[in-house]
Amino acid sequence: MLRFARCYSLARTKVTRNKSTPFRPEYALKCGLEIHTQLSTRNKLFSQSTNSTTSLVDAPNQHTSFYDIALPGTQPVLNMEAILFAMKLSLALESQVNSVSQFDRKHYFYGDQPQGYQVTQHYRPFAQGGKINLSKELDGIDELSKDIGILQLQIEQDTGKSHYTDTEKDVITLVDLNRSNVPLIELVTKPDFSDIKQVKAFIKKYQNLVRHLHISSGDLETGAMRVDVNLSINEFARVELKNLPNTSSIIDAIKYEYQRQVELITGGETSSLMEPETRGWTGSSTVKLRSKETTIDYRYMPDPELPYINLAPDVISGVKRLIPQLPDDIMRMLMNKPYHLSLKDAKILTYNSNQNDMYNHEALRTYYLDTFCEFSRLVDKDGSAKLPTSWIIHEFLGDLNKLQIPLTNAQEILPPAVFAQFLRLLHVETISPTSGKLLLFHILENFKKSNCQDLSVPNFSKLIKKFGLHAINKVNSQELTEFCNDIIAQHTDDTFKQNLVSGKKKTSLKFLIGQGMRQSQGRIKASEFEKKFKEILNIQW
Amino acid sequence: MPLKRSLRESVERLSSLQSKYNIFTSINPSPYKTKNKEGKNETLTNYVVSIKDNIVTKDLPTTCGSRILENFRSPFDATVVKLLKQAGVHILGKTNLDEFGMGSGGIHSIKGPVINPLYPQEDKKIMGGSSSGAAASVACDLVDFALGTDTGGSVRLPACYGSVLGFKPSYGRLSRFGVIAYSQSLDTVGILSKEIKVLQKVFNTLDKYDKKDPTSLSVELRELIEKNKKTKNHLKIGIVEEFNHESLPKEFHELYFAFLKKLANLGHKIYPVSIPSVKNSLPIYYTLSPAEAASNLSRYDGIRYGYRDSEIDIKDGILFAPTRSEFGIEVKNRIILGNYNLCSDAFKNNFIKAERLRVDLVDEFDSIFEFPNVLTNFQGNPEGLDILLVPTSSKLPESIKEFGEEETKSPTNSYINDVFTVPMSLAGLPSLSIPLKEKTPIALQIVGQYGDDSTVLDFVESLS
Repeated sequence: MLRFARCYSLARTKVTRNKSTPFRPEYALKCGLEIHTQLSTRNKLFSQSTNSTTSLVDAPNQHTSFYDIALPGTQPVLNMEAILFAMKLSLALESQVNSVSQFDRKHYFYGDQPQGYQVTQHYRPFAQGGKINLSKELDGIDELSKDIGILQLQIEQDTGKSHYTDTEKDVITLVDLNRSNVPLIELVTKPDFSDIKQVKAFIKKYQNLVRHLHISSGDLETGAMRVDVNLSINEFARVELKNLPNTSSIIDAIKYEYQRQVELITGGETSSLMEPETRGWTGSSTVKLRSKETTIDYRYMPDPELPYINLAPDVISGVKRLIPQLPDDIMRMLMNKPYHLSLKDAKILTYNSNQNDMYNHEALRTYYLDTFCEFSRLVDKDGSAKLPTSWIIHEFLGDLNKLQIPLTNAQEILPPAVFAQFLRLLHVETISPTSGKLLLFHILENFKKSNCQDLSVPNFSKLIKKFGLHAINKVNSQELTEFCNDIIAQHTDDTFKQNLVSGKKKTSLKFLIGQGMRQSQGRIKASEFEKKFKEILNIQW
Repeated sequence: MPLKRSLRESVERLSSLQSKYNIFTSINPSPYKTKNKEGKNETLTNYVVSIKDNIVTKDLPTTCGSRILENFRSPFDATVVKLLKQAGVHILGKTNLDEFGMGSGGIHSIKGPVINPLYPQEDKKIMGGSSSGAAASVACDLVDFALGTDTGGSVRLPACYGSVLGFKPSYGRLSRFGVIAYSQSLDTVGILSKEIKVLQKVFNTLDKYDKKDPTSLSVELRELIEKNKKTKNHLKIGIVEEFNHESLPKEFHELYFAFLKKLANLGHKIYPVSIPSVKNSLPIYYTLSPAEAASNLSRYDGIRYGYRDSEIDIKDGILFAPTRSEFGIEVKNRIILGNYNLCSDAFKNNFIKAERLRVDLVDEFDSIFEFPNVLTNFQGNPEGLDILLVPTSSKLPESIKEFGEEETKSPTNSYINDVFTVPMSLAGLPSLSIPLKEKTPIALQIVGQYGDDSTVLDFVESLS
């Protein structure tokens, strides 16, 4: 790795505050975010080297070209994929994409800044305006609906990464340029946030949006997404918070800084809140990094060799057509007629959780919608929305996870049309839900046993016959009486019966029905049991 | 073709000329090896060339005449070097220059000044810069041609002082990939030679679109220029009123009038023309170019390549100051000036204004030419001119001592030398400096409209 010697060490003074003051309306919080998002383009912003998602763990300085390490005589060549990604994001945020934007150089010296400047967009950014809407319904904020305005989006280069080491002998910084020149989008919001719930909801929503558009992994942990916070209280000067590696540190830092400033204000010590300053987060407190006097002049200069980005109107309208349906619209579609999904279920189909290897939310959503459509055709009436929901999102997914079968494989033997057939069997009560569960698990288990190689489509009626899973709709009353008497004999005594019949402990009836369902493997309906038990025990209530 | 000197002859003469005139920063120990193995498409077989030492080469060090790039060897060849190798040339060495191309005397190099071979007997005189070694290598007949770079006159001025041809093509015609940037909105690769036919051949070999250079003239615009071309036997030639011809040396006028008479006899028409904006050229140039230079030189921190202070990376809290203090005085001056112009307070007043005035200058140049400008979409003035005649230098070569003393008095003294060459750099126009008399440092620039390089070259060829 490249290395250079520093003249300062990393020791920091630590301030710890455990007191927790709640947010107080007389100290109004005003907050804005600056979010850097790495674009997952194949190559870097101005060079052909790979934009590796694993660059942090790869060998240092492996993903570097002559340009990335700023060899003399090299030149930037703009990666148009980054422009496409930036357009997608801007359009999804309803930002105004500027027909002409330009690249500028921002100058400062640092070991992980090989050119001595960063190429960014200062004088004419890529896009301006736009918003993200937060709502009580979808995002759980306190207000019914709130727009967070966006000031601008700009495209820029990421820097390399410095690794600080303090040894007894010397103070050394190691420099890894794998990340140098990776394309970033810097998004700046208006100072529209007035509480922490909104900040949390915004970050989550934005993160999901970039994943939804397939332009970034959106991960805070890897630094693919980095959030800085601008914060002020009542009209005091703005404080910028940096070094916030994850959502909890963002939230904790805002809370800490809010409390710190409220204490200063209530204590009358507001002199330090008159000038803007930049503070870092240590994990437990915020510490001053620099104030206005020590701010460096970046000496912005239009880049003299990169061409302007000129976008013809038909390019913008063309990219507009590439934008998929947006998450909020999908959520609303799923939560309304005819699907009527709960917020939680709709989220499973809309948000990329990055936590499940067996399926991705997009494939699952397509599967759900296709199956729903096929099923609706088969049963030919409304009001049966619950079956696809509970059977796909809960039962089927649960089985896939339990058996470790990827959705893409399971889909080969249970394509939407076949799954819809299965749902129809449940709908017309050919099989009971309990039998359905057994049947579905059996089919998937066998498929797994064949290493997902046996692609023959399951023959439901044959399997139902084989395992005797037919629901018993016309129950022989005599047989049912005997069956119920056995249960009463096995599970009750006199006190039990007395309390039940008198109505003192009505829930006992449910217990008996449950036993009946279990012993009949659900093939007899609960209502039949209820009727029979009441009859036998002569329950009047 | 007359030249094509023998490589052996050049190699034999080289060391004595080098010790006399300090032409090279490095000499190729095995010039024969650069021969193209494939032998295909060789347009310059066995031509002997020199390369200015701010153009990167794999086989030889590239120092920019600076301590900062001491022992630096590029892992790749500049596109122009690659094209020359493919065309079959022998590279004799890398030529001395003003550090990073900054200077008009050829004296600001870590390797010491280049001495003008036109004056072997007298006081040591300057070669002119910054392509000083390039001009000297041609003037001494060591090479058939030399590659230089021209940002504000760096090919044309030393060509004038060495009494050789010096061509700065239209901006964007020759690839800058591998040319170490001084001020890339102005930097151009240039060609120096004694023979117009050689120069044309080299230009044709290098005049290609390069996708690695974001400022390379696109294929579409190259085709458009071709379509706009017209062949004329008699040209309309302009003389620009604003260039102060009175300050020119006495010897100039005699040669100049003789030349004009010759042109008139050949049937060309000569007109006076006014371009008021040229008077802004020096302020524009010395606002923009140091700013770009300060930015471009920010990468030299010693961490990845080049010179690095052996002890420390930080001094008085300033990162890389110990290493960067090794830049030469002229480079330091321009870095300070450039950073001043980029400071947020001065930026709007100076940099932005200079950019606006540069556009005005381009518009004024456009308005006097008949040939269209494909970059500005100017359709061409039907009554306009074909070429302009502009003196190359206001002075004759001074002694190295004199030049240095004047510069010490005020650094801007040497900036005035660029007054005739800078306007064409700002407008990106093709400009060929031609000596008016053999072995005499008096020259005239033939200037064409943007993209109309061939009219300039063909015109000069028609005179030989």
